[in-house]
Amino acid sequence: MKTLTYTSLLGIFCMLAEILNLRKFIIPIALVALCVIGGLTYCDLNVHFEPFFSDMLRVDNFSTSFSLLLIVIAILLIALSYDFYTAQKDKISDYISIIIFTLCGALALVSFSNMTMFFIGLEVMSISFYILAGTNKREVRSNEAAMKYFLMGSFASGILLMGITLIYGASGSFNLATIAVYASGQNPDITFYIGIILVLVALLFKVSAVPFHFWAPDVYEGSPMLITALMATLGKVASFAAFYKLFAVCFVDAGSHFKLVIAIVVALTILVGNLSAIRQDSFKRMLAFSGVTNAGFMLFAILLPNENGGSALFFYAVAYALSSIAAFAIAIAVSKFSGSEKFDAFKGLAHKHPFSAILLTFAMISIAGIPPFAGFFAKYFILSSAIKGGYFWLAVFAIINSVVAFYYYFKVIIMMFSKPENEDSFSPNFVYITVASIAVLITIIAGFAPGVFFIH
Amino acid sequence: MLAILDVVSIKYYLILSAFLFTIGVFGVLFRRNAITIFMCVELMLNSVNLLLVAFSTYHHDASGQVFVFFVMAVAAAEVAVGLAILVTIFRNIHSVDIDDLKALKN
Amino acid sequence: MVNLYVLILAPLVGFLINGLMGKSLPKSVSGIISSFAVFVSFVISSIYFFGFVGGTQAPIDANVFDWITAGETKISFGLLLDQLSGLWLMIITGIGFLIHVYSIGYMHDDENFSRFFAYLNLFIFFMLLLVLGNNFLVMFIGWEGVGLCSYLLIGFWFKNQPYNDAAKKAFIMNRIGDLGFLIGMFLILFYFKTLNYGQLKEALASTQTSHGLLIAITMCLFVGAMGKSAQLPLYTWLPDAMAGPTPVSALIHAATMVTAGIFLIARANFLFSMAPETLSFIAGVGAVTALFAATIGVLQNDIKKVLAYSTVSQLGLMFLAMGVGAYTSGVFHVTTHAFFKACLFLGSGSVIHAMGGEQDIRNMGGLKKWMSITFITFLLSSIAIAGVPPFSGFFSKDEILAHVFEANKVLWVIGSLASFLTAFYMFRLVILTFFGSFRGTHEQEHHLHESPATITIPLVILAVLAVLGGLMGLPEFISHTHWLNSFLAPIFPHAEGHEHMAISTEFALMGLATALAVIGIGIAYSLYVSKQQLPAKEGELKGFAALVYDKYRVDELYNAVFVKPISALSSTLYTIVDKALIDGQLVEGTAGLSMQLGKRIRSLQSGNIGFYLLVMVVAISLILTYVFI
Repeated sequence: MKTLTYTSLLGIFCMLAEILNLRKFIIPIALVALCVIGGLTYCDLNVHFEPFFSDMLRVDNFSTSFSLLLIVIAILLIALSYDFYTAQKDKISDYISIIIFTLCGALALVSFSNMTMFFIGLEVMSISFYILAGTNKREVRSNEAAMKYFLMGSFASGILLMGITLIYGASGSFNLATIAVYASGQNPDITFYIGIILVLVALLFKVSAVPFHFWAPDVYEGSPMLITALMATLGKVASFAAFYKLFAVCFVDAGSHFKLVIAIVVALTILVGNLSAIRQDSFKRMLAFSGVTNAGFMLFAILLPNENGGSALFFYAVAYALSSIAAFAIAIAVSKFSGSEKFDAFKGLAHKHPFSAILLTFAMISIAGIPPFAGFFAKYFILSSAIKGGYFWLAVFAIINSVVAFYYYFKVIIMMFSKPENEDSFSPNFVYITVASIAVLITIIAGFAPGVFFIH
Repeated sequence: MLAILDVVSIKYYLILSAFLFTIGVFGVLFRRNAITIFMCVELMLNSVNLLLVAFSTYHHDASGQVFVFFVMAVAAAEVAVGLAILVTIFRNIHSVDIDDLKALKN
Repeated sequence: MVNLYVLILAPLVGFLINGLMGKSLPKSVSGIISSFAVFVSFVISSIYFFGFVGGTQAPIDANVFDWITAGETKISFGLLLDQLSGLWLMIITGIGFLIHVYSIGYMHDDENFSRFFAYLNLFIFFMLLLVLGNNFLVMFIGWEGVGLCSYLLIGFWFKNQPYNDAAKKAFIMNRIGDLGFLIGMFLILFYFKTLNYGQLKEALASTQTSHGLLIAITMCLFVGAMGKSAQLPLYTWLPDAMAGPTPVSALIHAATMVTAGIFLIARANFLFSMAPETLSFIAGVGAVTALFAATIGVLQNDIKKVLAYSTVSQLGLMFLAMGVGAYTSGVFHVTTHAFFKACLFLGSGSVIHAMGGEQDIRNMGGLKKWMSITFITFLLSSIAIAGVPPFSGFFSKDEILAHVFEANKVLWVIGSLASFLTAFYMFRLVILTFFGSFRGTHEQEHHLHESPATITIPLVILAVLAVLGGLMGLPEFISHTHWLNSFLAPIFPHAEGHEHMAISTEFALMGLATALAVIGIGIAYSLYVSKQQLPAKEGELKGFAALVYDKYRVDELYNAVFVKPISALSSTLYTIVDKALIDGQLVEGTAGLSMQLGKRIRSLQSGNIGFYLLVMVVAISLILTYVFI
């Protein structure tokens, strides 16, 4: 609870800092404050809390672990904005405060215990994203990304609301515990099932699962790269945590009717994401489709509502989010230097700046799922519990696809290690390297000691 | 309070809301003007609000009506953001037709 | 136990030092550190190994730590050191050390000297992990790690694009194999709830397992072995992998990594023995690969390519041995092959070094005049690989062929034919390179010299091993016991000795094998020394020979059968889903066909967002329909 409160206060402070003439200090202050909040959150692990605000929020190890991950993601990305927004120094307080509000929404999404909180969390996060996607005001592509995301997002919100309302109508409550009792009771009403399906669809949209994924590549490509990173990591992780909370914990009995639907969505998501990623020549767009594929893998966790599902999902989220951040950090540095987000921009990076090439290589290897990096174990846990859960063929299908995925992950590695076209020297700002190093380091630690990242 | 539901059963509220919601969905699908699409989304949200109030009465539970306030607040924020985005787009391409938004594609 | 940790971690430390501080270290220090790291491992390996030989060392099977414990999932990081891994340790660290020393001389002028040694050390580390793991997961980590190092080292001269393509090819082919390994591993985990070798063995002994399942598991694992050990049809990466520096070819693509597939089967022999169908399949694949690669080797003109195809062929022979259940013979051939093939590769490196990078044997000739040590070592190893007694290759190859003869006469014919061709093309290589008169440019002739001591000393040691290596597996009628057989008896309890076969048959087979080898050498001699023939130039070959020269155009076949359809499918999807549907081109196409309908349809879905939203709504309707009807 205090995590959410303090983060909201921090967001408000950052917004007001402009007036107080503290613009230069906003990023350091935000970073330090987030570190402190992260520390406080860490202290909440293994402590038992009563529900907060008449059972609007519940803090348990699941929510605390995810909150910590979200805070780490936010810290890394805010650190990146130090250099990213050099051209727009006067807007910095707006950007930082909106990013922190995004974090607030995400935090609400991992700890809600009432549909009201779930809805508010999702909307706070989404509305912040609509704004952030369009922050590059003079760039038509950025405008277009914001518009597309906004139109489709608010449409999905409408569907979500209808779902929540129907669930409320059938069960008579917004409280998750009450709904869970109703769901496991005798003959829930048909409107209840329709409600669940509508909520399911809205969440599938938020996590960009096929066929609700169309917005993701366009929005990711049009938004400023830092915001793309934020959406692909923070947004996706928080949405999945909420997804898991609802479908693997709350609707678990009623949800069993839709297992086949989710299984088909998993297969489609992995396949379409993969096949589309192969054809890309833009690194950013490739990452967007790879995000779609990874969403397919994370959806496995929803299929398996057992005690391992939460851990497997969390571990996957750690591996995916941090590898992506490392990849984005280097990609931002490269695109800032070369002005291009295409694969060609990476040509000869190993020659020009070997360390950043190595970091990006590690990040790609981790996402691709090669041991000993975290990405391998993430896939391993998800797939082995999927096999135990009886989804053998789906797991085999996923494995085959993950092998296909090597093609496009290694495309960038090959680019980096091939001959540079020119001899321009390339020296990225230290923040990119630092952030990427930290992210890679965590994925390596997670690879060697996965147990640390399990929710107990 | 309950009397009204005895006269007009909850079923009819459900049907009315579903009808309004569907109109909203079709509006979103078939309109090309971004502002009209906004309005259709609003129609979807308001059909939900109507249904929430009806259910709230039906269940003798105030939380449904409280939820409506949250929905309205969020919708207001959403529209504010949406219109701001619309204005920036209009400045750049002098159009609010979503068919003109095709810069981002494969 | 502490020794074991040092053994594994020493190369990792070497890697870290070279990787992190390599640039600031002088070249000599960098090379010495990493060679020393491997030497430490070698010394400890020797202690363990001779402990096993003397019978004083008991096998170590220990769980170092529990990697993950969560619910039912429990995975340990465990090590298993027994006779089998002990033998492999000796090959990896012994030959690894020699190749490190060799590389100090060979890579001397390379600007990325320290990076090279860092990769080499990392490779040794992963290879040790591969052979020392006590469960499939640890083996898989090593398996992937060596693949990665191989990828990095093949593409070491990354400024050259074809080298990068070769690296990519190696990686992707290996991934196809790994897919099999992974599925096999998951199947084992699913049905036996363990990945540990010992526990799996117990589980197999105590429970009734369906035969089909065993076949499925072993076939999947064998697909993994096929990728790593370059068997048909996944072999094409190995010849291309010769793009890497020569020491890498010697270490990774001849002596150690490519034998990982054999190791996998040897390690899981209890599993494979229960699936005779898979074993027959392995034997078939091995035999066909052996012959197929040998025929290609006959017409190659690149010194390293000849050796590469010869490696593929010899690996096929090893799989043939595994397939007929002669595990010991297969392992025996792995060992002797490691000696003579490493020596051959290093010798070819020495030649390439002297020729200033030239690899085409048509431009060599008469080199024995300038490079006597390289020549003698190369010649001895060639005799060994050709299978002339009493060199090491003779004993191991003969043993394999004897077992195959017992099992299946057809496979025996194929295997013998492959060894006959081996003798022929190896001597074709030796003669064209070292005999006759020099055919290169004057500049090259002027440059010719014997290599420095760091290069020649490893050559000499390896040549001695190549000559004497057969001693560890002398047939029983010469020495009293087959030493390797009794050494590996705890691992292969059912390994069959020679005792079933009459000594006369055995002698006859040996005589035949020797005769074939000598005939092969003789033909090479008459063609290239007496008649002084030279290989044809590009385009002069006709018919079948041209096909063989082009490596049966397998790469082109793969391109046509796999790569093109996949990219076609991908581009079709790209065109249909991404371009046509989303961009509205399909709509416009329809509009072209029918103007009237077209206008309506365009007004319905000509916009991007509109289409996206429509798909969403259609999907919702489909889900609702599915769930309620």
